[in-house]
Amino acid sequence: MTIQKDSERNETKYLRKFADFAGRRVLEIGCGEGRLTWQYAKQARSVAAIDLDADGLRVATIDRPSDLQDRVYFSRAESEHLPFAKETFDIALLAWSF
Amino acid sequence: MVHALSEIRRVLVEGGLMIDLRPILDHWPIEVASARGTRQTGRFQDLPLGTADDQVANRSMAQAEQDGWFIREQEHFFLFSYSWDTPSEMEEWIKTEWEDFLELDQETKKATRSAWSVADADSRIRIQMKMVITRWKKLP
Repeated sequence: MTIQKDSERNETKYLRKFADFAGRRVLEIGCGEGRLTWQYAKQARSVAAIDLDADGLRVATIDRPSDLQDRVYFSRAESEHLPFAKETFDIALLAWSF
Repeated sequence: MVHALSEIRRVLVEGGLMIDLRPILDHWPIEVASARGTRQTGRFQDLPLGTADDQVANRSMAQAEQDGWFIREQEHFFLFSYSWDTPSEMEEWIKTEWEDFLELDQETKKATRSAWSVADADSRIRIQMKMVITRWKKLP
């Protein structure tokens, strides 16, 4: 099946308009296979991306570019129990998750 | 969901931003689109489970604002397209990914197949989803 998503790139355009990711510590909730993660990760200081879907996280980890290996982390976690200390992030991105 | 917002607030620095990006059910249109033009063949029916999800999310965000956890700074609606080569591929996707929250009636399926069968060779089946993006700022 050949499916195209957001060929007009509206999502990326508005995401960048709404937040400056440069040098920020970002928490992404509902990252799935990382489709959205790759739209801003290069600008961010670090990214912790979580999801409950282990298959999606596996794909995201495989797709992670080598230059982002030490800045982008994927893990399985629930948004109701975030495994992070308080005041860890500058931006929280709810990616199609609510 | 309120508990999730409480957790997000906990892990954000003071003045940190929460970006909420999600689709909103709104009887999304289905189109047969080619380089030469676009023809709308119908719209989805939103199912109760899907609209209930949207309402829960909206209520939770409103509650978080009312409780002084976050302040809404900016909001915008935009379109996010999905497209497939054939009507069958679209129908399969709906069945496996979206069947809990929307559906397509037989008349629209028939109209889409019919329009696609006589359309240009580069035609694709396209759905225009309504999206909302909101920027919230954490309050002290």
